[in-house]
Amino acid sequence: MLPGILTVTTFTPLVGALIVAAAPTRYARSLALAASLATWVISLLLVIGFDPHAPAARPFQLVEAINWIPVFGIQYKVGVDGLSLVLVVLTTTLTWISILASFSPIKERIKEYMVSFLVLEVGMIGVFVALDTFLFYIFWEIVLVPMYLIIGIWGGANRIYATIKFVLYTLVGSLLMLVAILTTAFAYQSANAGSWQGAFDFEKLHGFGFDPTLQLFAFLAFFLAFAIKVPMFPFHTWLPDAHVQAPTAGSVILAAILLKLGAYGLIRFAVPLFPGAAHTFAPAIIVLSLIAIIYGAIVALVQPDLKKLVAYSSVSHMGFVTLGIFVFNVQGLDGAILQMVNHGLITGALFLLVGVIYERTHDRTIARMGGLAGSLPVWAVALGFFCFASGGLPGLSGFVGEFLVLVGAFQFSPWVAAIATVCMILAAAYLLWMYQRIIFGELSGFLQGLGHHLVDMTPTEVLTLAPLAALTVVFGLFPGLVLDLVGGSVANVLGDAARQAAIVVPPAAAALAIALPIVYVVGRLAWVAWIDLSGRGPGSAETPAPTEAAS
Amino acid sequence: MFGFLVPVIIGLPLFGFLFTALVGRRLGKQAYIVPVGAVGIAWLIGMWVVFNALTGAEPFGEGGFATRLYSWIPAGAFHVDVGFLVDNLTACLLIVVLTIGFLVHVYSIGYMDHDPGYWRFFAYLNLFMVSMLLLVLADSFLVVFVAWELVGLSSYLLIGFWKHKPSAALAAKKAFIVNRVGDVGFALGIMAIFVDTGTLNIQESMTRLTAEGAALPIPVWVVALLVFAGAMGKSAQFPLHVWLPDAMEGPTPVSALIHAATMVNAGVYLVARTNPIFAAGGDAMVVVAAIGIFTAILAASIAMTQTDIKRVLAYSTLSQLGYMFASLGVGAFTAAIFHLMTHGFFKGLLFLGSGSVIHAVHEEQDMRRMGGLASKIPHTYRTMLIGSIAIAGIPPLAGFFSKDEILGEAFKNGFQWVWLIGIVVAVMTAFYMFRLIGLTFWGESRVDPAVEPHIHESPSVMTTPLWLLAIPSIVLGLVLSWPGPPLGTGTGLLAGWLAPVFEHGHELLGRAETPFQLFGIDGGLLLVSIVVAVLGMVTAWRLFGASLGGLRWRPDPERVRSLTARVPFLYRASLNKWWFDDLNHLIFIVVGGRVGAFAWWFDRRVVDDTVNDIAATTVDAGKNLRRVQTGRVQNYALGIALGLIVMAGSFLVLAAR
Repeated sequence: MLPGILTVTTFTPLVGALIVAAAPTRYARSLALAASLATWVISLLLVIGFDPHAPAARPFQLVEAINWIPVFGIQYKVGVDGLSLVLVVLTTTLTWISILASFSPIKERIKEYMVSFLVLEVGMIGVFVALDTFLFYIFWEIVLVPMYLIIGIWGGANRIYATIKFVLYTLVGSLLMLVAILTTAFAYQSANAGSWQGAFDFEKLHGFGFDPTLQLFAFLAFFLAFAIKVPMFPFHTWLPDAHVQAPTAGSVILAAILLKLGAYGLIRFAVPLFPGAAHTFAPAIIVLSLIAIIYGAIVALVQPDLKKLVAYSSVSHMGFVTLGIFVFNVQGLDGAILQMVNHGLITGALFLLVGVIYERTHDRTIARMGGLAGSLPVWAVALGFFCFASGGLPGLSGFVGEFLVLVGAFQFSPWVAAIATVCMILAAAYLLWMYQRIIFGELSGFLQGLGHHLVDMTPTEVLTLAPLAALTVVFGLFPGLVLDLVGGSVANVLGDAARQAAIVVPPAAAALAIALPIVYVVGRLAWVAWIDLSGRGPGSAETPAPTEAAS
Repeated sequence: MFGFLVPVIIGLPLFGFLFTALVGRRLGKQAYIVPVGAVGIAWLIGMWVVFNALTGAEPFGEGGFATRLYSWIPAGAFHVDVGFLVDNLTACLLIVVLTIGFLVHVYSIGYMDHDPGYWRFFAYLNLFMVSMLLLVLADSFLVVFVAWELVGLSSYLLIGFWKHKPSAALAAKKAFIVNRVGDVGFALGIMAIFVDTGTLNIQESMTRLTAEGAALPIPVWVVALLVFAGAMGKSAQFPLHVWLPDAMEGPTPVSALIHAATMVNAGVYLVARTNPIFAAGGDAMVVVAAIGIFTAILAASIAMTQTDIKRVLAYSTLSQLGYMFASLGVGAFTAAIFHLMTHGFFKGLLFLGSGSVIHAVHEEQDMRRMGGLASKIPHTYRTMLIGSIAIAGIPPLAGFFSKDEILGEAFKNGFQWVWLIGIVVAVMTAFYMFRLIGLTFWGESRVDPAVEPHIHESPSVMTTPLWLLAIPSIVLGLVLSWPGPPLGTGTGLLAGWLAPVFEHGHELLGRAETPFQLFGIDGGLLLVSIVVAVLGMVTAWRLFGASLGGLRWRPDPERVRSLTARVPFLYRASLNKWWFDDLNHLIFIVVGGRVGAFAWWFDRRVVDDTVNDIAATTVDAGKNLRRVQTGRVQNYALGIALGLIVMAGSFLVLAAR
């Protein structure tokens, strides 16, 4: 395999970004697409060069390591295992699709937009390949900047609120993670007679049994950063706002890749570094996942806005990912990873489809739609396909991931699986109800008023969706393509997790940790209910309703 | 050879579906050729396979022929292959699915002739055939589940076929979601089976589940009930029966194929297929019997007063499916499959006939605006009459034999209460069927005068399938239950075929085949069955008229009115379908909507506002602390002085200790 290919993959988009920035604006679109396609092709080479049956002792392949800040043992170290590889390819695929999908909707500051997107890709790939915790943190934060701009500049009417909320919320978690990264480095250094060698090296750290107390706190810090990104209930409220305000391609990348960063972090770092703490907190995380699955679906049911509906369905689907991770068995983790890939494909496609109709109507209110089967038949079929895929129709990829997670959960506890399985009904309900309202019936008055603007999908739009549809079918019929790649990673993570049993926490602390949130929620609920019911408050503290016109 | 032929049976309609979905739009009225042809060839191959399987030729033998296609999910110990199993039970189902499926395809060439979505209809029909064939052929629980959901998808697409009709869209969604309720149970059952046995191959897991002394993490009766939940959804058993009558919003061939003859049988098939689990599951069987017979009488009671011709048939289907489950519940597995087969043919016939009637009177479905149609559409009339006699249980037509076997087995196996309710249902069945015939074909015409002159018999592409279905409706019962040579050796043809499949289940239940006693208990039960069927039929004649050969009875609407006035509550309950739709509306739309609204309110006011409050508090803190930075030197000096005093004071205090 070519030396340095991982670095090439990671930084090709950066080169592309520089070229786009230097070249005249009229070439921005095609150059950006070319750069992202080039990255995609190189990432496919990675798949060919990757050996899924490498010995377990050397889980990471194509490793490159250069000393970066030798004083502290910080390296530029990258490498892939099956898990990273799958997510890298997912990233490069979705990026060129997003760039292509932005060709017609983005009309202003096109050069800046394309540069942001390519820089975003660097950050995302970097997160998935970094093997040095400090490097990981750098890439993690790099991702924020372009996304901040994409939502803040090319977003909807309330974009500033949404983008600041997104960045600040994520920063709260990631700064705590930085503290935890430094803490682990210090702990490693002091245990190694003051040598900083390897203090940030993941391959050294994940075999290191950290002190129980440190584990508990460091795990919480990592967990918070990742849980906000996933996003897990109750840290999810930035997501609907960000999705509603982001431009279509921003939503696609946000849902398809950025949410996966959090889940990836949990699998790669939170569990292997702090297995004892992971076991300690697993029951709580499983409960939160179950809440996310059911609660996200119920809230999705009543959303009036298409994008918000898909956003809340993401909360529900990502709940399956976190559930699968923390039941600690092969099926659960396999399913979680598959679910990450599938959610990326399917939810990405759903946001693209919402973008298609938004382009024509400048509206996303479900109540104003109706009867679109007649006017946009191809779009209607595509939406139906991805709705069923999202609802976990067997034969399509969504099903296998979800079912494996459920099998994993069933082995942990049948009751957990039983609760999560109810989501099958709720998902069908919110997707089909939405589909019924916008596709069936006679064409609504609002849509009739649009006249000739209401045309079916353009070839470009079909081109953006076709690969996602194809992959949805292929991974549905041959999930082994992904499962074989990630088999080694799954075994390693579970091996790390099995190193340690749950750290015992004082019962009083546990009781307090359970009681305090409940007391808070009940108290807040009573207080808010009193305000709303007595009509004292504004009734709804929601930020201005999402009825903005086009940006 | 069969390793190739069996996948081809599924592959042909799959090709038809893909082909028609991709290019069907451009083919116009020729769009039917490929899909109908594909199913026709599949029928030929299928019958060859069935013949070999039922005669026990190599490589089928007694246990059936299994072939593996590829490894689908390799996730550690959780390993699922896509493979097929053709044994005699599958063969019986193949006969029903392929034959009725093919005839419905042919019928649809005529029935859907004027529809702009011609190609779409055939694409969906082929997709359904793929799913249904996969369902009966699959040898893994998870692949059965895949097919299970895919038939649900096809059903959704076909119920909602007329997209502009809001009622069709609602019905399609309702069908899918109600089915999903059952599927949750089925899915959990599959997980339980994996946890119990470590495999999802149907044959292997059943052996392990029923092995004696196996200490299972999940008891076998739980597994049985979870699987049964799936069966209840697909086969529309109480309380998940609400979707089937609404499914009649779809085109009539769909109602015949999916919602009467094949898909709704999937639940019966599944329970029959997993019979050892139920047999080992103890009281799970009683639950099956109770729900089955309750559905039978509930649906029959509703069918007695409905005025929409398709709804009467839909409730009748529910009722007959109830019989089948009752039969499974009492341990009469063979009788259930027997009734599944005969019912498939005569109910498919009745639905296609009703489609022909609806066609004739210009899309009118209300029987109050029909009447006297017998002479105008003779083929439809005669075939539907045959179907009605068959379902009413009049010998020697098919329904008599299968129904009598169910009731007889129930009685002999110690479920007298099932038998008793079943007898009542039999009266009701004969009654509502001849009410249907009377209202539709006999008596005075009540057809809209504008439509009256245009009433016409359907083209032969539609009436031929009717006659082809009429033949098995007449003879199938006799053929399959014939005890003597040349067809059977004492037990009947079908019983002989299915004996290996149900052997294990019967063993677990401790049942032995008893020879048929015409002049003993069997003869007595048989007589009762005939008497009640005739009773129901004659009652219907008295009330709704009859003109059969020399028999001429006028309808008696006065007496109908006085009879219904005597039992107002029962009448209204039947007319309003025992208010199940209203109950569901209350629970799921009204209460469910409230829950959703509350959850969203909670999300904004509690979860999100907490986040925003934290941010606001930070901003406020900054704003307030800003006041400290006044820019006046005096303030800063005061601060310095106070700070010094505090520091010095604390130093003094600490030093003094």
